[in-house]
Amino acid sequence: MLAIKNLTASVDGKEILRGVALQVKAGEVHAIMGPNGSGKSTLAHILSGRDGYTVTGGEVRYLGEDLLQLEVEERAQQGVFLAMQYPVELPGVNNMSFLRESINAIRRARGEAEIDTLSFMKQVKEKARQVKLDEKLLKRSVNAGFSGGEKKRNEILQMAMLEPKLAILDETDSGLDIDALRTVADGVNRLRTAERGMIVVTHYQRLLDYIQPDKVHVLANGRIVRSGGKDLALELEARGYGWLLEEAAA
Amino acid sequence: MTPSLSDYKRWTLQGIETLPMSSGDWMIDRRLAALERFEALGFPDRRSEAWRYTSVEGLLKQGFVAPANTSQSDQDDGIRNHLLPLATVGRLVFIDGQFIEAHSDYPSGGVRVSSLKAAMATGDRKVLQAVGSLSGLGEDGFAALNLAGFHDGAVIQVAQDVRLDGPLEILHLSSSRAEGRKLPTRHLILMERGSQAELIERFVSEDQMSCYFNHQVVEISLAEQARLNHKRIQMESRQAYHLSDLHIALQSKASYHGVMAAIGGCWSRTFISNRFQQPDAHCELDGLYLVDDGQLADFHLDVDHQVASCSSRENFKGLLRGSGRAVFDGLIQVGKGAQKSEAHLHNANLMLSRQAEVDTKPQLMILADDVVCSHGTSVGQLDDQAIFYLRSRGLDEQRARALLCQGFLAEIVDKFEHQALIELLNRRMNFVGSTE
Repeated sequence: MLAIKNLTASVDGKEILRGVALQVKAGEVHAIMGPNGSGKSTLAHILSGRDGYTVTGGEVRYLGEDLLQLEVEERAQQGVFLAMQYPVELPGVNNMSFLRESINAIRRARGEAEIDTLSFMKQVKEKARQVKLDEKLLKRSVNAGFSGGEKKRNEILQMAMLEPKLAILDETDSGLDIDALRTVADGVNRLRTAERGMIVVTHYQRLLDYIQPDKVHVLANGRIVRSGGKDLALELEARGYGWLLEEAAA
Repeated sequence: MTPSLSDYKRWTLQGIETLPMSSGDWMIDRRLAALERFEALGFPDRRSEAWRYTSVEGLLKQGFVAPANTSQSDQDDGIRNHLLPLATVGRLVFIDGQFIEAHSDYPSGGVRVSSLKAAMATGDRKVLQAVGSLSGLGEDGFAALNLAGFHDGAVIQVAQDVRLDGPLEILHLSSSRAEGRKLPTRHLILMERGSQAELIERFVSEDQMSCYFNHQVVEISLAEQARLNHKRIQMESRQAYHLSDLHIALQSKASYHGVMAAIGGCWSRTFISNRFQQPDAHCELDGLYLVDDGQLADFHLDVDHQVASCSSRENFKGLLRGSGRAVFDGLIQVGKGAQKSEAHLHNANLMLSRQAEVDTKPQLMILADDVVCSHGTSVGQLDDQAIFYLRSRGLDEQRARALLCQGFLAEIVDKFEHQALIELLNRRMNFVGSTE
């Protein structure tokens, strides 16, 4: 589904990614861990098409296509979803109409019919309940005045409604208490299917107690320095990142 | 060539002669007094603080000396194209500044609606005496000239304790026959004690090329406990000039809520004067302006708290595109005796281009010491992160921008309440937000 080869990228002339390689197959959940400043978020942002990054080398193929050639909205229309670390507040933009417009933009791009009001309402209510997002927040402006937890739940709700092929979760656990973390993780787990690939970017192992990854990668100094099974996350939790950084430097 | 003051005077006198005369000498005297005042004041220029950011040169060069032809039109004038699905209880239609009875529907029960021209014809002294009672002879040359030369206008009197079931509408349509002319009108809105009404005013044009000068003075008087919700949407021709002066006077526990939109015209200015005459009255003003290349929108607010325990809230937001310009000058004065006043004034601007320009000047002048007042202003741009967020959810960039513009103005647009008005405004905003 996703093949990243030798990806290098810089911000303002400073090299952040120094040759990242990663393969994600449909149905797999990959965790990307690493210390602060290792390039985790940069990788997530580049995949979703955020500007401010210069890709200096390598390639990213998504479903056989050159992902980096696609506009931000084209990526979304083709099934890439980024759950953001800091979801943006959109005052005056109604949450529910935004969600509906988003679904329809994606459907239109795929040549599908727009969603009818009734099934949209039914779905959005059901899925909001699943992620424990207060229904009142659906009628408010997108993320405006939401708590940190509410914003993340709203991201997961969007993900559930948009049904992406590739979901990227950027530090979705940051700022969440344990209950919210569990709800968010449940939401993610509910979306695990044989067709969907996921990349979970996180600093802490904590989230991985709830979302069991198939593979764990450690990103440090712009490279994946270690890959392994879910046990690697536990090892990191116990030993920290220091030993890996030393090994990588050696 | 720019006409001289005496050209204006001559044309005004000629215009007066065409008007119904049975109003008697009293109205004529008043017009002549206003004309004298006009001569004394002349037109304002940028040396006066109120006109510092808004040049009238372009307007004066156009030489709108002659009022529009006032022969009764029996044409349809495409009025139907401008009707909206609003559950109105009555509609007054003005074409080129003249009341057209054939297109109007009178409301029934408890509200008296007529035209100033009819009041002049019958010599309705009560109505005619109210003309100019709030505006005076005119604070500037334009206002004085309007009083001297106005041809027509609406008179709406809502009787004591009457509550209208739906909105009244005043529709101002400018036809291509208004080209090069001025359209001086005045409205009188008299809300008697305990009455409640909603008034929707719209300014539309047959086309987007006609160049004319619509000048309107509105006097609104609210007796004790009366309430008026007043919505105004200015969508004049893109080449037109529009000047509105609103004078509002509130007695005890009266409440006025004005919601304004300035969208059309190459030059538009709205001056709102709010006078609390007795305590415990409330005034709210919400407004939005959209300007594009070659457009200027100007809002001047003068909210005067001289009596105690009144409250006012003003919130104006603007969207500026291309080389569009806007002026916001909001003044709130709280006099010495106006203890327990509450006043909040806010202006926010979203700049969609580097060429757009706004001059914003919210001012509070407070002489009382026991008051709650605030004011603020902001000038910003669309947030790149917000655009990215929307695009990452599948919306293209144009739609993302339009949605953010719409979101920025939503709190004002929502105050227009009626779906037909909200859609009208959002359609216009999609266009503004999307193409830059």
